[in-house]
Amino acid sequence: MSFGNAFFGYSWIDAIIRVVIVIGVMTVTVVYLTYGERKFVARFQQRLGPTRTGPIGLWQGFADALKLLTKEDIRPTNADRWVFEFAPYATFIPVLMVLIVLPFARDWGVRNLSLGMLYVFAVLGLNIVGIMMAGLGAGNKFALLGGVRAAAQMISYEIPLVLSLLAVAMIAGTLDLDKIALLQAHRPFILLQPLAFLIFATAMLSELHRAPFDIPVAESEIVGGFVVEFSGIRWSMFQLTEYASMWGFSIFGSVIFFGGWAFPKGLDWGWGWQLALTFIKSGAFILAIMWVRTTVPRLRIDQLMSFCWKVLLPLSLVQLLVNGFVLEYGWPQEVLSLTSLAGAAFLIAVIFRRAVRRPSKTKLVGAYRQAQVPE
Amino acid sequence: MTQDSPAKSQLPAAGLADEIAKALPGIPVQAVETTTDLDLTVEVANLKPFVQGLRDRLAFDLLRNIVGIDFEADGMALKYQFYSFKDNRALQLTVTTGSGHPHVPSLVDLYPAADWHEREAAEMLGFVFDGHPNLKNLLLEEDLHIHPLLKEHPLQVGEVFQGIESGPVGFPS
Amino acid sequence: MTHWPEQLVSSREAEFDTVDMTINIGPQHPATHGVFRMVLRVDGELVTDCEPYIGYLHRGLEKLTENHDYRQAMGWWDRTDYLAGLCCEGAYCMAVEKLAGMQVPERAEYIRVIMMELSRISSHFMFLGAFGADVGSFGTSFAYAWRERERIYDLFEEVAGDRMFPTYFRPGGITMELPENFEARCRQLLGQIRQGIEDLDGLLTGNEIFIERCCNLSPLDTERAIALGITGPILRATGLAWDIRKAEPYSIYDRLTFDIPVGRQGDIFDRFFVRLSEMYQSCRIIEQCLADMPKKGLILDPKLPKTLRIDKKECYVRNEGTKGEYGVYALARGGTKPYRMKLRSPSFCNLSALREMVVGNYVADAVLILGSLDIVLGEVDK
Repeated sequence: MSFGNAFFGYSWIDAIIRVVIVIGVMTVTVVYLTYGERKFVARFQQRLGPTRTGPIGLWQGFADALKLLTKEDIRPTNADRWVFEFAPYATFIPVLMVLIVLPFARDWGVRNLSLGMLYVFAVLGLNIVGIMMAGLGAGNKFALLGGVRAAAQMISYEIPLVLSLLAVAMIAGTLDLDKIALLQAHRPFILLQPLAFLIFATAMLSELHRAPFDIPVAESEIVGGFVVEFSGIRWSMFQLTEYASMWGFSIFGSVIFFGGWAFPKGLDWGWGWQLALTFIKSGAFILAIMWVRTTVPRLRIDQLMSFCWKVLLPLSLVQLLVNGFVLEYGWPQEVLSLTSLAGAAFLIAVIFRRAVRRPSKTKLVGAYRQAQVPE
Repeated sequence: MTQDSPAKSQLPAAGLADEIAKALPGIPVQAVETTTDLDLTVEVANLKPFVQGLRDRLAFDLLRNIVGIDFEADGMALKYQFYSFKDNRALQLTVTTGSGHPHVPSLVDLYPAADWHEREAAEMLGFVFDGHPNLKNLLLEEDLHIHPLLKEHPLQVGEVFQGIESGPVGFPS
Repeated sequence: MTHWPEQLVSSREAEFDTVDMTINIGPQHPATHGVFRMVLRVDGELVTDCEPYIGYLHRGLEKLTENHDYRQAMGWWDRTDYLAGLCCEGAYCMAVEKLAGMQVPERAEYIRVIMMELSRISSHFMFLGAFGADVGSFGTSFAYAWRERERIYDLFEEVAGDRMFPTYFRPGGITMELPENFEARCRQLLGQIRQGIEDLDGLLTGNEIFIERCCNLSPLDTERAIALGITGPILRATGLAWDIRKAEPYSIYDRLTFDIPVGRQGDIFDRFFVRLSEMYQSCRIIEQCLADMPKKGLILDPKLPKTLRIDKKECYVRNEGTKGEYGVYALARGGTKPYRMKLRSPSFCNLSALREMVVGNYVADAVLILGSLDIVLGEVDK
């Protein structure tokens, strides 16, 4: 049964039950993602991570959630009351709305919209409003700085994100996420559009404000940025948003570029295998995101913005243009792959140019040289 | 590094006193040798021209340290430590003043390094540096006007109450 | 086109005037490496003014020293540069020895040098870790650095009984003999340290984002650095190969061969790289000491008096502390207590240049610049 049809009785009861299932899965997933991140990052840093709460620390996420729920709700007197109180929810609700369209398997999802992709990035844009509310409403200069940086960053990176996804949509000919997955049953789109994937991955990291783009929550500079004044449940809503959107984006990315539940042999082997495929692919995405976060330092806001506007945006526009030409003149799909691969290689070269030109190692002075007073 | 390089093992530079007497005539100095440096005593009034001469003509470009000392009945003193990169030698300058709040010209315009050293000497011992742009307290709180390193200032006055004070904190000056 | 009344127009223009915002990077902050406060005035992200406030860790070192015996006061001095306590102990002991005219036996000198260089390595590891955390590498560099520091501290504990402030040096020599397996242990540690430095090097130095953030940020030329009183790795990063261990050698440094790494333009990347390279040089020094050290010998001057009375003497000894020139000015005027002892701390002098370096850069860079100065507040605040 296609996941547009009701399974649990009337369509509205069906919808509610599906939403509840998704929320439940999301909650447990997020809890275990926080735990998993701590363990994973800890291993990178040669330490163990949570080990005490439950066997190998498995109940850590629940323990954290419980602690946060029982914390005192502090609201600074300077804060704009309603903006401050509503901001966490304003940030979280769009993420929840996105989870509605994502296909976890052939018939497993809440509702399949024929405008699925458009819906996803339109709704994710609303996230920014919530973050700005958090930054401006907290009555704290650090929060203001964080909110302003976040707004600039997220709005800028929306554009290459959308353009790269549109490039894929042009090839697929549809915005419907279910159909996009079906079209990749034999060949995932990453082979056709590696450049779009790279741009999507970078822009996705930025939308999630994770390293190296985590300036809005730059912990060592502005101590938490826009979440600095939130504590207890409110802060846990922001964390929930971050991990839920990480999860949602991972599934979204795996559907669009890696074939989601359909590749390989998704249709043949039933819903168990499809679920497993979704799980594996989004898990790989999430692991990659965490890996990058642990290893890489963060960019400064102006470097980040210049990277977006001067590198990613032109490349994604060029990608769109090339796709248009190829599809219009009916050239074979391999041309798409090749041009996109060339674009991807160019992007990587641009990123690495700095390392190639890095200053040569500082010279070691062999023997002591009499100190000179510079002229 | 030549064997007879004067700063080797941190000893007073040989021949420096004569060189200075030749390069900066007209400013009376008294030369003594401490364990590690050559020490020259100048008058407060001659301090600035002497230091300017040291910097411009003898290439003493690093002002390392400014020490304020309280000699109780014998007044107070300031010791300046200089170093020349070009000739690899060090020099100490002493300026003796009276007690209380003696006025000494500030060396900030000649050596920006003097900035914080002078602020510290001012707050710890009560020197007043004329011409210093920002003589606020550095290590102590801004409103605490005591001079702890003076010998008359006690090390500790009885027990220190580790609680919440009802009045201003600080030793009676 | 509508004509707005005069008052409305000028008030509209006034609305668009911007006022610089004052941010307080306050004493409690993950980025300030200790209790240090700086008040930044920013125009958007650009810093227009910076005022540092220090003194949160002022403990009255000099006043305490004036009122205690020469050998008692050492307990406070090694807590000034608390990341490299043994270097401070070395400087203080040198000062008292100069005043009292003591001779330190050769074996003790070698042991002192080994301990001081290990402290230097430990302090530079701390810098690498903290600087990586400032740049945003979120604790990975920190964890790597601390693993090596733990190893060094374990060695200190085996040798001297305490990890950070063992009070191992004493005017006239050192307190106790090394354990028997010290050489083997030290060589093993050096191997681990080299591996640790390589790990951190691989994590940070080649990283494009790290280079993007750090290169060409706050370049400093040598003349200005000297005028500001900056010494140590920052001065070497500007291109001047000056190290007190070579220029004004103390202890047995004149017998050891090692290089002085220098930078080129004094920017943050150079300062980082100079410190990284210095760590390798310190390893070299330790190996030479282990090879050349006399296997048996006195560790303490045999003619030490029970009460140390020093008549009119004055000295200013300087040693190459981890952050720069760590100088001790000592004045004795009879009696068992020093008349005046002043600490010329490198972090204090380097920090006075902060304002000049920070103004004109972004807020994010202000934090990096502060990190690259590698200050330790114990020294700054005495």
